[in-house]
Amino acid sequence: MVAILQEIFSRRNLLYELVMRDLKIRYARKSMGFLWTFLMPFATVITFYVIFCQILKVKIGEAPFFLYLMSGVFSWRFFHDSVAAATTCLTDNKKLVQEPAFPHYFIPLAITLANVINFLPSLFITVVISLFVSRGNVIFIFSLPFIICIHVCLTAGVAVIFSILYVRWRNVKYVVELFLFEAFYATPVFYSIYLIKATFPDIFFKIFLCNPFTGILNLYRIALLRGFYDMTKNDLSIFSLIIGPLVFTIGILILGYMLYERHKTIINDYLSG
Amino acid sequence: MIPLLLNDTAMAVSLGALSKKYPLQAVSGSHTRYLGGEFWALKDISLSIPQGHILGILGRNGSGKTTLLNVVAGIVPPTKGKVVTKGKVLGLFNLGIGFQDELSGRENIFLNGSIIGAGKTELENALSAIIDFSELGDFIDMPLGSYSQGMRLRLGFSIIAHLDFEVLVIDEILTVGDILFQNKCFQRLIEFKHSGKTLLITTQSMDLLERLCDTVALLEHGCLLFHGEAEKAVNHYYALLNAKKFFVGLPKENVRMVETTKKWADNRSEWGLRLGTKEAEIHSLSLYNKFGLLCKRIRSGQPLKLRVNFSVNTIIKDPHFGIAIFRKDGVYCYGPNTLFDGHKIPELKKGKGWFSLHYKKLWLAPGEYVLSVAIWDKYETVAFDYHCGYYTLLVTGADNRDNKLLDVKAKYKLSRKKYRPYTFIKKSDARAIMPFLSDASVHKQQYAGIEIQSFLLSHPSGQKKGIFITNQPVMFRITISTHLLEEKGRDIWFGIFREDGIYCHGISFAIENDTRITLVYPQLPLLPGKYGVSIGLSNKKTRRPFLHFPGIHSFCMTFDKHDHGTVYLEHSWAWKMA
Repeated sequence: MVAILQEIFSRRNLLYELVMRDLKIRYARKSMGFLWTFLMPFATVITFYVIFCQILKVKIGEAPFFLYLMSGVFSWRFFHDSVAAATTCLTDNKKLVQEPAFPHYFIPLAITLANVINFLPSLFITVVISLFVSRGNVIFIFSLPFIICIHVCLTAGVAVIFSILYVRWRNVKYVVELFLFEAFYATPVFYSIYLIKATFPDIFFKIFLCNPFTGILNLYRIALLRGFYDMTKNDLSIFSLIIGPLVFTIGILILGYMLYERHKTIINDYLSG
Repeated sequence: MIPLLLNDTAMAVSLGALSKKYPLQAVSGSHTRYLGGEFWALKDISLSIPQGHILGILGRNGSGKTTLLNVVAGIVPPTKGKVVTKGKVLGLFNLGIGFQDELSGRENIFLNGSIIGAGKTELENALSAIIDFSELGDFIDMPLGSYSQGMRLRLGFSIIAHLDFEVLVIDEILTVGDILFQNKCFQRLIEFKHSGKTLLITTQSMDLLERLCDTVALLEHGCLLFHGEAEKAVNHYYALLNAKKFFVGLPKENVRMVETTKKWADNRSEWGLRLGTKEAEIHSLSLYNKFGLLCKRIRSGQPLKLRVNFSVNTIIKDPHFGIAIFRKDGVYCYGPNTLFDGHKIPELKKGKGWFSLHYKKLWLAPGEYVLSVAIWDKYETVAFDYHCGYYTLLVTGADNRDNKLLDVKAKYKLSRKKYRPYTFIKKSDARAIMPFLSDASVHKQQYAGIEIQSFLLSHPSGQKKGIFITNQPVMFRITISTHLLEEKGRDIWFGIFREDGIYCHGISFAIENDTRITLVYPQLPLLPGKYGVSIGLSNKKTRRPFLHFPGIHSFCMTFDKHDHGTVYLEHSWAWKMA
């Protein structure tokens, strides 16, 4: 584990180049360039807003629906895009990774980092809007770096795991698609957790809260949406919010590390096979 | 196993008994399915390259060149064996590896450089030199997607050429650039060599190989066939190519290196018959000795010329001549024909003619042999005339009571070694190696603690191998544990058996109390197939064997030519229509 951190540090130049490659490819030679970063997430938010707020009349008490959506959709998109792109990244970049002593996990890691860079501006906008629109204690905003940190680690771990598995079993791609689809609906991106509490028995609600993505999303909301914490503190203990995702993230990182250690010598065999 | 000198400090790259296996996978749709088979891309390759040398790797497509380079570069791990490289290894593989089409040339320098492992400052310092060397000019800021293959190569090579490394591995790319750039690369490679870098290159340009490489390794089906001077390797390679070309279109077994041949007569009951369509007729076979005189018998090891007179009744297109030698018991000794030897006879006109087969040295051991003579059609399927086992040949010479097949000469060297605690070749192992040599009459005996301590088969240059090419040199080295061998007057007998137990060749000589026996065959004329080695010790005076190690080792022969029989005898053909 320490060796991995050392490798990341000693080859940070390579990581930087890979992240830059990702960003450059995304925006090079495209009109409007960086604007695309905002366009897709905002289009999603507007679509959801129209469908769920205007047509389906979903009610959310914790925050203005628009802000609630933004805080959920942006962070979910970051996770979704990273994992979806990372799954096939080793085979897509076959030519890149077949170099002597190339650390394969750098590719999914770079994808995750490039995606977090894309995610930050829209997060910033959410922060600004929420500062003006909602009311409540502003202190939680300072936990944002910590939350982002956990989120990035979790995403990178999942990305590395799926990318390695995909090299061996090409069916993993469909598993990932299914997983992301189900996880999206199991996470309160566009509905309130109180809808779950109201609809399902209590035990189900507890299980629902165990979903680490729910935990992370709620953490984001506590940080971004003023007043969210005060409203939900009776149902969500801050410790269960933090410890759940934290333990899960560490577990994912260890799993990813073990998987990589077992596969690092044979990845190229499977890639060239 | 034989310990290899992997810690030799003068060697920049050492490969010890390297093998690489790929699982066989079939692709159906988007799924990769494991086929259950395996494919050995490299088999037991041992090589070492001194620092500052350039090794060329030669071989047909799919012979394992790229896999070898991949293993040396550390991209894929070997399945068996060991790779030891000194210093940093860089690889320049297929064009475009590590390149990103969407990025500009300049950006690719940084990306590619950092993938290879260069630091940012190293790259920044080398940047202008790289761009200059690549001669890309303003294109350096264009996206790589707009580059031609040659431009990609130039960029790729330029990056490598300006970074620090000890060993460089280059795969079949240098021929892409134009002549000017090729020369530049060439000069650069020579500069590398002079500055003590070690290079491994593969290329299909024989010219480049001969100009550049200190030594060349020839690979075929993952085996190392030859390692030595470039010129010789190239000649071997051409021989290989020609042999293949000749068999294109023939059954699949001929497409590969020949691994086994026909070893017995088809049907001995047909001996003495004249078969065939009689469009051509064989009239007589006569034997001539080294003085060109007609003879009835021939001494073993002497030249022999066989001349066949025939007549043709209609015009025959693409005929082939063949003469086969069998031992009395049906063992197929050798059956060359003009088809296998690559001769093309466009047609035979009506009338009389003759063809002859000239053996430079008839190495067959003394005994009675039977000859078949035939004139075949193009693919050796229809015989125009076939005299099956019709003629006899008597070979005279020294006593051949043990009924061996071959009387080829070998050199041997004896030396003594200090006592070393001996390691046993386990009885069970010996059986496993050569199950077919369960010589029932003599059992291996443990006699006074004498054991074969080690057995080594190799090319005389010292390269350990298990597969040899017909008529190439082979060296056997046997070490006997000997602390109890004080009694003088011993003979050692060394025998080679064919897979089915036929005694091909044997040699025996006195060893006194020597413990290390080196036996060199300048040419081992055994045709493709599996062979085994047995060793025996006997009392010199009484000639009674007291120790026998049957089947202690096995080896294979392959050949780039198709032939029938067990032994290879150098020969030439001649024919004429009257």
